[in-house]
Amino acid sequence: MSEKKIKNIFVDGPVSPEFIAKSIANHNTKTEIGGHSIFMGQVRKDEIDGKIVSAINYTAFEDLALNKMHEIREEIFDKYPLSCMHIHHSLGTIRAGEICLFVFTSSKHRKPAIEACNELVERIKSELPIWGKEIFADASHQWKENI
Amino acid sequence: MEIEIISFGKISEFISNQKITIDCGTTDELKTHLENIFPHLAGMKYKLALNKNLVQQNSELKNSDSIAIMPPFSGG
Repeated sequence: MSEKKIKNIFVDGPVSPEFIAKSIANHNTKTEIGGHSIFMGQVRKDEIDGKIVSAINYTAFEDLALNKMHEIREEIFDKYPLSCMHIHHSLGTIRAGEICLFVFTSSKHRKPAIEACNELVERIKSELPIWGKEIFADASHQWKENI
Repeated sequence: MEIEIISFGKISEFISNQKITIDCGTTDELKTHLENIFPHLAGMKYKLALNKNLVQQNSELKNSDSIAIMPPFSGG
């Protein structure tokens, strides 16, 4: 299955649990699916040098990110027998405890869904031009680094 | 020639989006030039995108190109 249209992955603000629930429910007519795999990234209330992270503000070079995501999407569809792939990444300020990344893959049997989901998360974090600015409770900030 | 530079993340705190006049023919020359005029950049890891394409090898520049200066990605 190949999707030629470039899809938007960005959402303003957090990904809501209701949105995630609805995304799952939307698959109940796709009865060839036997396994879903979901990854959710949540903003962590880190403590850095005695200061508490209260939120992360995300910005992106959106055009480049969406083109790159399109390439990754095509490669993952070529590599794994997936029925579905959905990706949503937040922009703007996401508070600690809220969801900032939602990756959802589905396949006939579990393994392709699980492996594709893992690979997507790794590639999203390392290859998409998105930046997180950690906002501390005292309103100071530092730029997040992915490890 | 004149090019447009846009910056992201940490780099946007010391390089604002602007048009600059340069005397560089390639992206490698441009990097050296940028590190001279923005000394903060010299010690940092960063990547360039030329007209919304990631620069992976030295590339030729032309008038009114757009160059993005990007620190390491930290999405997710």
